[in-house]
Amino acid sequence: MAHVDVREKPVLHEECCKGCGRCREACARGCIAPGADINELSGLVPIVLSLDACNGCGLCAEACPEPYGLEMAGPEAEREAAAVAPRARFVAPADVPDARVPLPHARPLVVKGTHASAIGALLAGCRHFFGYPITPSTEGAELMAKLLPALGGSFVQAPSEVAAVNMMYGAAGAGRRTMTFTSSPGFSLMLEGVSYLVGAELPTVFVNVMRAGPGLGNIGPEQSDLKLVCRGLGHGSTHAIVLAPATPQEMLDFTMLAFELAFRYRNPVVVAADGHLGQMTGKVELPRALVKPGLPGWAVSGDAAHRGNLHSSILLREADQEAHNLHLFDKYARMTAAEQRAEELRCEDADTVVVACGTPARMAAGAVTALRAEGVRVGLFRPQTVWPFPVAALLPLVRRARRIVVVEASDGQLEDELRLALSHAGAGGEVPIAHVRRHGGILPSQREIADGVRKAVAGRGVTA
Amino acid sequence: MSVFYERFERHDHAEGIKGRSTHYCPGCGHGLVHRYLAEAIEELGIQDRTIAVSPVGCSVFLYYYLDVGHTQAAHGRAPAVALGHKLSNPDSVVVSYQGDGDLASIGLTEILHAAQLGVPLSVVFVNNAIYGMTGGQTAPTTLIGQKTTTSPYGRDASMGQPLKMAELMAQLDGPVYVERVALFDAKQRVRASKAVKKGLKLQAEGKGFSFVEVLAECPTHLRMGAEEAERWVKEKMVPVFPLGVKKDVSATASWGAWHTPTYETGAVLEAIDARETEAQRFAKGFPETPFGGDELGLKFAGSGGDGAQTAAMLMVHAAVNEGLDATHIPSYGPESRGGTSYADVRIARSQVLSPDVPSPHALVAFNAPSLAKFGPSVAPGGIALYDRSVIREPHALPPGVRAVGVPLSEIAAELGQPLVKNVVAIGALLGATGIFPAETVLAVIRQALQKRPALVGVNAEAFARGARAVERGWGRAG
Repeated sequence: MAHVDVREKPVLHEECCKGCGRCREACARGCIAPGADINELSGLVPIVLSLDACNGCGLCAEACPEPYGLEMAGPEAEREAAAVAPRARFVAPADVPDARVPLPHARPLVVKGTHASAIGALLAGCRHFFGYPITPSTEGAELMAKLLPALGGSFVQAPSEVAAVNMMYGAAGAGRRTMTFTSSPGFSLMLEGVSYLVGAELPTVFVNVMRAGPGLGNIGPEQSDLKLVCRGLGHGSTHAIVLAPATPQEMLDFTMLAFELAFRYRNPVVVAADGHLGQMTGKVELPRALVKPGLPGWAVSGDAAHRGNLHSSILLREADQEAHNLHLFDKYARMTAAEQRAEELRCEDADTVVVACGTPARMAAGAVTALRAEGVRVGLFRPQTVWPFPVAALLPLVRRARRIVVVEASDGQLEDELRLALSHAGAGGEVPIAHVRRHGGILPSQREIADGVRKAVAGRGVTA
Repeated sequence: MSVFYERFERHDHAEGIKGRSTHYCPGCGHGLVHRYLAEAIEELGIQDRTIAVSPVGCSVFLYYYLDVGHTQAAHGRAPAVALGHKLSNPDSVVVSYQGDGDLASIGLTEILHAAQLGVPLSVVFVNNAIYGMTGGQTAPTTLIGQKTTTSPYGRDASMGQPLKMAELMAQLDGPVYVERVALFDAKQRVRASKAVKKGLKLQAEGKGFSFVEVLAECPTHLRMGAEEAERWVKEKMVPVFPLGVKKDVSATASWGAWHTPTYETGAVLEAIDARETEAQRFAKGFPETPFGGDELGLKFAGSGGDGAQTAAMLMVHAAVNEGLDATHIPSYGPESRGGTSYADVRIARSQVLSPDVPSPHALVAFNAPSLAKFGPSVAPGGIALYDRSVIREPHALPPGVRAVGVPLSEIAAELGQPLVKNVVAIGALLGATGIFPAETVLAVIRQALQKRPALVGVNAEAFARGARAVERGWGRAG
């Protein structure tokens, strides 16, 4: 349609003509008239050509907004739309696999949680960071800003969390590894984007260093985004694996794991750390290898092989949307089956099982150790994934135990996950559940936890 | 051969005539702008490189039509998505195709900041002065007096003035090329086609960010025929949105070179400051103390600038270098400078369990409020070390806690370096408790001051003076 030859004349594909008349305005020779007959394929009234006066100027075709409405062509090119064969179905190229490059042994780092996480991201092959400063997560972004230029990556301080998550959507769409650091109010702002990422199946890593809320709250540690990350990732039926680190070492390890899981399932992964863990410095051993990322076949990567790819979360036909959702639910089920993670401490003969994650789990570990010295048969079950909740490993403990004590820095959001998981597993109500909770930027202390366990053992403080 | 798909398979599965027909209403300007994009991509030979980011709005389905890579964005976020694509894959040619509600209302932040960043992107902004997909509501570009479903009596000034995006973009330093074009006659269509092509070419050649605003017809929601809508754009829109080049510095513009990510282990280890050599050990394992057990808790408390956090970090590094585990939790007041500054440090033989220190074995207090706040929590048999230069009378210490006053500030002042008072404190802490040999801490100080070796001497002296100022010994356990 770009080249206009004087020998060519306009050819009208009536079923594609919507009769708008833009061509009529463009024609200086009056060759085009409004039609009168409804086209039975389109239900619209196409224009009528009478080409006696046509000099083949092509202005009519230039004015036509339809790609295949009005074409300049010789008579031999005339053809029916129906004659166009469906093109060969696009087949995405094979994945270029990641490479694992061995690292020499290095002495442990002494770094804070956010830095450990940033280093984990770099070792996992992340070279593209988009974020917005928010305490107590910002040091992670600052380290990325410092280190990424030397590693040939890109760092953008976005104008908002909303922009940041959408920059991640673009980079992830290109098949690249991207992440952000944020904290509770910032993560709230990102949720629109998270829903789109889940819908479009784009792998991204969010490190949410949770602070006290609601609203601005304060910058002290809480675990009150667990409901959000487990049950409220934006609109629609969304889920993402939620990793709950408890040490700076796990901030590194779980950030690396988060990238692996994000790409394995083509889904966002959340690392839910509390404010203490973001700021806490500790000993961090480096892994044995770093990841040199490959390129997934689904990437929209600006090359011939990937040209047929599309990232989108819009499916107009209800049946298409339902099929896509069922595909997502199948993926959630696979995650639930394969990705439950937990650590146990002295659970082997425990008749009281303390359940805690994140930094409160360390206080709980201290309490369990102290209580064991007093002869109390207590153990700690520490979910390392909050979604999926590691119920498979918990069930045998629950069947043996006489009570559970949930320790957390929220209004029972971890306990709700636990109760829901037990209920789905058919073990709801089998064992009484007590709790120890602090709020507002204060974590339960070792002493409070020990007292809570003693009370529960004495039959007080049980809420179920 | 065209950049349009032969069949629009994504358009409702190409059922019926949909494989060859767009979803746009009769006379809609989008089809023409799509064609200019298709022609430009073909003529520039960039079909494989092109990634089109489609917005929310009528052109959400751009991906039905053009045979290029596609990413569909959330409402208003196309420039952010486009930036993510471009920065992570600079060889791609990324088009952010947006309507007026998307770009000028909900996505104003994204477009302004993307433009000001100046990263080579090609923005095509279709302005038809109304919301199409949601059914004819007021747009940020709706004209004064124009009736829409949400301005049924006509837009008046109280509903805001039409936003002139091309002029706004031209004010920014970031873009290299900004033009407004239209579609209402053959001459304008030629200009529009050229402008779209130029915007793409500037990116393909690595020149910079371009912004092409296209005044387009929405006959359906203007409730006009296509020809009348063309006249409306010419007679009503153009006076408010004058056509023409608003900015063009493309002749001299250049974005410069892109970086290529490296995954080379040496570069990564250097960046994260990892050391392949083991730290030298001076201690014989976990320190012997009257408390027994496998853990020690320390607290450093003062004002911002006292060096409490640095002192805490020195202790953590010392412990890790000795093969132990250690943690540090800082806590600050809201002030960037001068507020309260507390640090909890735990040292463990194998693994720190609870990292907080509600009842420290040793407290270092740099001022009276800190001593008053934390002194009562020191464990029986522990030490409360304080700056005697600023605290005359330690009080409220539990029985059995040893109070150790050291003139930290005065010693530091004598050394001519007031900032080293925290190192004097560490010297005194180790002098009193012996939890690590002096060499452990001195090695950490040398490591920390690797790039400022001139400061090692005064710090070593500060440590020594602190250590000499105290006698060895803990408190008396109850």
